Amino acid sequence: MALFTIDEVRKTFTNGEVKEEILKGINLSLREGEITALVGASGSGKSTLLTIAAGLQPASDGQVIFEGENMAAMGSEQVRKIRASKFGFVFQFAHLVPFLTVEEQLMLMLDVSESKLKKHEQKKEVDKILRLVGMGHRKNAYPSSLSGGEKQRVAIARAIIHKPKVLFADEPTASLDSKRSKDVMSLIRDLTKTLNITTLMVTHDEEMLGFADHIIKMSDGQVLQGVGIIVEN
Amino acid sequence: MNIAWKEIKKNKVRFLILGSIVFLVSLLTFIISGLANGLSQDNAALIKDLPSGQFFMNEDADETYNLSRIDSSIQDKILNNQKDAVALSIQMGFLNDETGKQRSVAFVTSTDSKLFNHVKDGEIVLDRSLEDEGIKIGDTLTNNQYSGNFVVKGFVDQKKYSHAPVAYISMEDYREIYRVEEMQLVFVPGEDSSLEIAGLQSFTKIDFLNTIPSYSAEQMSLNMIVWFLVIISGMLFAIFFYMMNVQKMGLYGILKAIGVKTSTLFKMMWTQMVFITVIALALSVTFSQVFNMIAPKGMPFSLTPETTIQLSVVFLIIGFIGATLSGVQIRKVEPLQAIQQGEV
Ligand SMILES: Nc1ncnc2c1ncn2[C@@H]1O[C@H](COP(=O)(O)OP(=O)(O)O)[C@@H](O)[C@H]1O
Ligand SMILES: [Mg+2]
Repeated sequence: MALFTIDEVRKTFTNGEVKEEILKGINLSLREGEITALVGASGSGKSTLLTIAAGLQPASDGQVIFEGENMAAMGSEQVRKIRASKFGFVFQFAHLVPFLTVEEQLMLMLDVSESKLKKHEQKKEVDKILRLVGMGHRKNAYPSSLSGGEKQRVAIARAIIHKPKVLFADEPTASLDSKRSKDVMSLIRDLTKTLNITTLMVTHDEEMLGFADHIIKMSDGQVLQGVGIIVEN
Repeated sequence: MNIAWKEIKKNKVRFLILGSIVFLVSLLTFIISGLANGLSQDNAALIKDLPSGQFFMNEDADETYNLSRIDSSIQDKILNNQKDAVALSIQMGFLNDETGKQRSVAFVTSTDSKLFNHVKDGEIVLDRSLEDEGIKIGDTLTNNQYSGNFVVKGFVDQKKYSHAPVAYISMEDYREIYRVEEMQLVFVPGEDSSLEIAGLQSFTKIDFLNTIPSYSAEQMSLNMIVWFLVIISGMLFAIFFYMMNVQKMGLYGILKAIGVKTSTLFKMMWTQMVFITVIALALSVTFSQVFNMIAPKGMPFSLTPETTIQLSVVFLIIGFIGATLSGVQIRKVEPLQAIQQGEV
């Protein structure tokens, strides 16, 4: 069964007088534990679709069904709760909180997701995830002293520390060089496979497609039919 | 996790600057308010420190106590009927000390009352400020219009009128100096101010203070300065919190995106605002009270802890409103905007 279904989602932006339909009835579903890559030309509506799916902005029409419930019909507080506890986010930039150490970034996320763990258990969990992303040795560092790749690894750690059901990643490697990009992608792949996290990822980097289980191509606000590719890894 | 506190710890300088602004502005307000109050004490402590009550002067005195002559039969009637009522007169004048040095004083005389010092003929009781100037008990003082000598009997604290020290003399001596039989004023203490007496005009304490020309002008400008300062500092707080919040919009957006509640962000901002403001105010209250103690004797400065606390509360409320108004943006910020705007 699909964990996440997007059903006839439309999005219209109004620029002054001009109405522009950016998403023209999107249908797709994410299969549990798989990485779905969203590809397409710049401006085709990938980010818009991803942020609607992630509950970061509302759709103009259609349904976003997560765990059997339509998020499009929920109030903002309900959506926030889902974002906080069931979703994880990685974007082009790490967007870390500048005044928190690496460890504190993750502790904050556990707080936000209302983790039931006790303090010392939380710390243990943080240590574990930081080791997984290879940042165990920098847990007391502030973001300003980390390199781009290191920040992104911390962002990934923050996105999964609370064991989300779905990970949303919008060009997570766009700010990294080719080698770092591959490291980060294989990290995302390994982590989501170990933790059974379903992933929706936007990328325009051909090289990254090798890490996906499933590729969906978008063009001009629509999903191109018949190009759903299952990648055998 | 207390992110409010974590931010302060990491960005000490920024919060230190904010704190010093609050500190300096509130200290300035306290000092000016201390001066205003000090001047008002210096101008009219004699009247201000009386209990609340009604002042009466002649209706045809044109609200000028100097021109008021209260008929002695009316005066007797009031003094007999009203408990603790007292008739008094005040006139500016001069005293010469033994070296011939002339000093400006406010001569005050009254009927028997515990509100005013009573002295025998030929005796005088002075405001403490004259003791500080070297006059001692037992000294003899003279006045051009007075045939005898005044012997200094004692000193009283904080009795000033029209910026001059008060000199209590007997009614007999007063009559000799100013050559009038009648008293200028009758004061009837009490919360109730409904007493009416034919031929006399009634004043509350504040109203009476305002008939002293220098008093109302002085107080009006000083109070104006104090309230302008309060308003300006309020705007200053608001602008500073606003600027801090604007700088943090990206951060707020990210925190919202990962699921932090808007109310948590408000609490974060309030915590920081209260923390900074309370410390800054505590410091400026302390500083102004220290200043109150060490201010040179001749400087009319009087700042009670109550006044500083009151002003502090006003500052706290203003800071809170300023922070909250600027916090409206926190509500508005869309997590998406922050993500699209790139690195914070
Ligand atoms: N908030 C918005 N208001 C108006 N137009 C928008 C907004 N967000 C995105 N768009 C437009 O929608 C189109 C698709 O954008 P986006 O989803 O970011 O594309 P992609 O991620 O595929 O490059 C673009 O033309 C963009 O200008
Ligand atoms: Mg995009």
